[in-house]
Amino acid sequence: MHPLFKLAGDEVIVADDTFIDVADEDAIPEGDVIVSLTRFQTEGEGLLAGGRKIGVRIQADEAVEDLAYDLPRLSLVAPVFPKYRDGRAYTTATLLRERLGFTGEVRAVGDVLREQAGFMVRCGFDAFQPADGATPAEWRAAIHRHRHVYQRAADARPPAFTERRA
Amino acid sequence: MYRYDAIDREIVADRAAEFRGQVERRLGGDLTEDQFKPLRLMNGLYLQLHAYMLRIAIPYGSVNAAQMRRFADIARQYDKGYGHFTTRQNLQFHWIKLADTPDILDRLAEVDLHAIQTSGNCIRNVTSDPFAGATAEEVDDPRVWSEVIRQWSTLHPEFSYLPRKFKFAVTASAKDRTAAKVHDIGLALRRSRDGTLGFEVMVGGGQGRTPYLASTIREHLPVGHLLSYIQAILRVYNRHGRRDNIYKARIKILVASLGAEEFARQVEEEWAKIDAPTNDLPDTELARIRAAFTPLAFETLAPHAGAYELAKASDPALARFARNNVKAHKVAGYGIVEVSLKTIGATPGDITAEQMDVVADLAERYGLDDIRVTHEQNLVLPHVKLDDIPAVHAQLAATGLASANINLASDIIACPGLDYCALANARAIPIAQHIAERFSDADHAEKVGELKIKISGCINACGHHHVGHIGILGVDKKGEEFYQLSLGGSGAEDASLAQILGPALPANRVAEAVDQLVEAYLRERQGEERFLDTFRRLGMAPFKEAVYAPAL
Amino acid sequence: MKAITANRLLDGEVVFWREGRWVERFGEAQLFADDAAAEEAVAVGKGQPTVVVEPYAIDVTEAGAGVAPVSYRERLRALGPTNEPTHGKQAEGGAAIEALLAATGAARSTGRVDLIRRK
Repeated sequence: MHPLFKLAGDEVIVADDTFIDVADEDAIPEGDVIVSLTRFQTEGEGLLAGGRKIGVRIQADEAVEDLAYDLPRLSLVAPVFPKYRDGRAYTTATLLRERLGFTGEVRAVGDVLREQAGFMVRCGFDAFQPADGATPAEWRAAIHRHRHVYQRAADARPPAFTERRA
Repeated sequence: MYRYDAIDREIVADRAAEFRGQVERRLGGDLTEDQFKPLRLMNGLYLQLHAYMLRIAIPYGSVNAAQMRRFADIARQYDKGYGHFTTRQNLQFHWIKLADTPDILDRLAEVDLHAIQTSGNCIRNVTSDPFAGATAEEVDDPRVWSEVIRQWSTLHPEFSYLPRKFKFAVTASAKDRTAAKVHDIGLALRRSRDGTLGFEVMVGGGQGRTPYLASTIREHLPVGHLLSYIQAILRVYNRHGRRDNIYKARIKILVASLGAEEFARQVEEEWAKIDAPTNDLPDTELARIRAAFTPLAFETLAPHAGAYELAKASDPALARFARNNVKAHKVAGYGIVEVSLKTIGATPGDITAEQMDVVADLAERYGLDDIRVTHEQNLVLPHVKLDDIPAVHAQLAATGLASANINLASDIIACPGLDYCALANARAIPIAQHIAERFSDADHAEKVGELKIKISGCINACGHHHVGHIGILGVDKKGEEFYQLSLGGSGAEDASLAQILGPALPANRVAEAVDQLVEAYLRERQGEERFLDTFRRLGMAPFKEAVYAPAL
Repeated sequence: MKAITANRLLDGEVVFWREGRWVERFGEAQLFADDAAAEEAVAVGKGQPTVVVEPYAIDVTEAGAGVAPVSYRERLRALGPTNEPTHGKQAEGGAAIEALLAATGAARSTGRVDLIRRK
């Protein structure tokens, strides 16, 4: 299984994954779990009642707005990159942070590569399961490679036009 | 032109450094070709038939003398002494080595140039009017808005992995020199009756395998809301554009399948949810960008340029050049000079390093250090004093760049085609050369008048054949190069898509067929009609007969 | 008959397989009468990702005094662009180049189907 990296301020740390990622055909184990959106929609109430932490996997073609009502009760949302070239998860994460106000963990899963790490952070991802064997140092370097950004995004980074005014 | 500040420079430098690292990892085996390809493409580096090709962004077609000289240096040091200007106002070098590209990007960055997002499924170089800042027709300077979009779209975190490539065009004149209606988003600046500046927003145009003209989804978007509104468009496209079929992934397919009205509704719905004040560009930054365009020191001149008029009267070649290549400037005593890269027998859009140096010298000496690239693969010196035009013309002539054929039949757009491109099915360049040679009699060419011939070597339509008055598409027919002719297209303000003339012709029949079409036009035309107008009045029949009947 | 071709990673130069190494001249390319042997060589080439990009087999046929790729596209790769006769491999001239120039027909490459993927 891929390691789990998390943002900690400017740093990238290796974190223990306390969640179990559960496939739809598998039974729900004890403990904190990540389930698919469809499974959450049918079994979510029961899972939440069990007093554990719940995360939801959002496929690229699923609408994150469908989770809006339940977000306050979720610990984690995991937008899936089916291929790193599929950019829909960037919009999913952006909407989670900017529009739906989600403050829990937004975890990048799937074909997650360090070349895209900077974009992921800017769209609001704060946890990553790299599929390319990158080290935390490499991940950190990729995130901090650019000294400036031109546009506003879902992170707090001041864009060039703000820097220019300073 | 827009002057970079320290932040702009550091952004380009960081990107070049990032690519240097990626190239090292590729050469060292840490990245596979599959992983590396999209990374090099986002820096404009293709692997073509004979070598790598590097496509350099020329933002909205605007370049200064120092930058043009740098192109010349790169052409000499890293290529074979020439470059190729494209229909996207970019410059391509066709003989590049992968190992050299990090150094080339560094050399470009020194003069504020880059190859960022000149390929890949991201927002590409913004097309704009090559006459911007020089024509009296425009309601505002479209370069300012193009630069706003350039900055906003550069390394955009949400929109760098779109379903497919994405192209903007920005125009501010009634006359469209950007082919706005065949862009993913065409933005036409207009002033409303109450004087406010707004964009007509046109979405879903494009060429390729399924050509569409863009649909207007908003008649008048107040300019201050540009960024939040295009964010809404891109977001709807990023979420709902098709990703299962590369041929159906452009936004034009989404707009066509939803219908323009439904697409517009979804955009408006998304836009309503976007917090515009935080997503639109602050007025202070817009003002800063506007001020960062070099103010030009025009002199107060008499509208009648005595020396120019005298020179034209005594030099028929200059007079011809003036008729075809010089356009009206907004300042009295100045002219817009188009430099044709369509010398008969040459490769359309190609320019040697020596010619680049000459154009740079002319821009510096006579043209307020401003050079433009047109989507028709020519150059423009947008601000030349009329009395300097004889000198400019003489120096262009001395370097083989004085062809007086702008908008005439030999001013042909052609993609590199099968001679270079890995995607092509047939050659485009030799076809353009054969046709141009038939119009080497300049009097005949002028008599024929405006005729836009556009040639693509494959269905991807980089040669804009769908919007040619005469469009020519190279196809592979059982292993032979054949060419499908179509008529009646236009990429200008009167945009239309060309219709197929008839069965594809073998290579050796194409130039002759163009002749036959032109003869039919000359027989049928009324008054000042252009070829396109005659076609629109008469339809296909007389032209079809002209080409196919003799064979019957 | 088949030959194996690729572009060299470092500079993009068109290269051909010859007895375990890559050569620049089509005239020196190893010709395979046996498809299985050709595929074996392609597989070896694919195992050299830091040397060449995407090796593949092309059909080759007799042409005049020599041999030439069946497809026009592959002949252009072996020669250089037709609009610049002094650029590319054709500049060198010689009998092998003459044979390539004399061949006709077959525009599309036989070795590659999904061309749009090759950028």
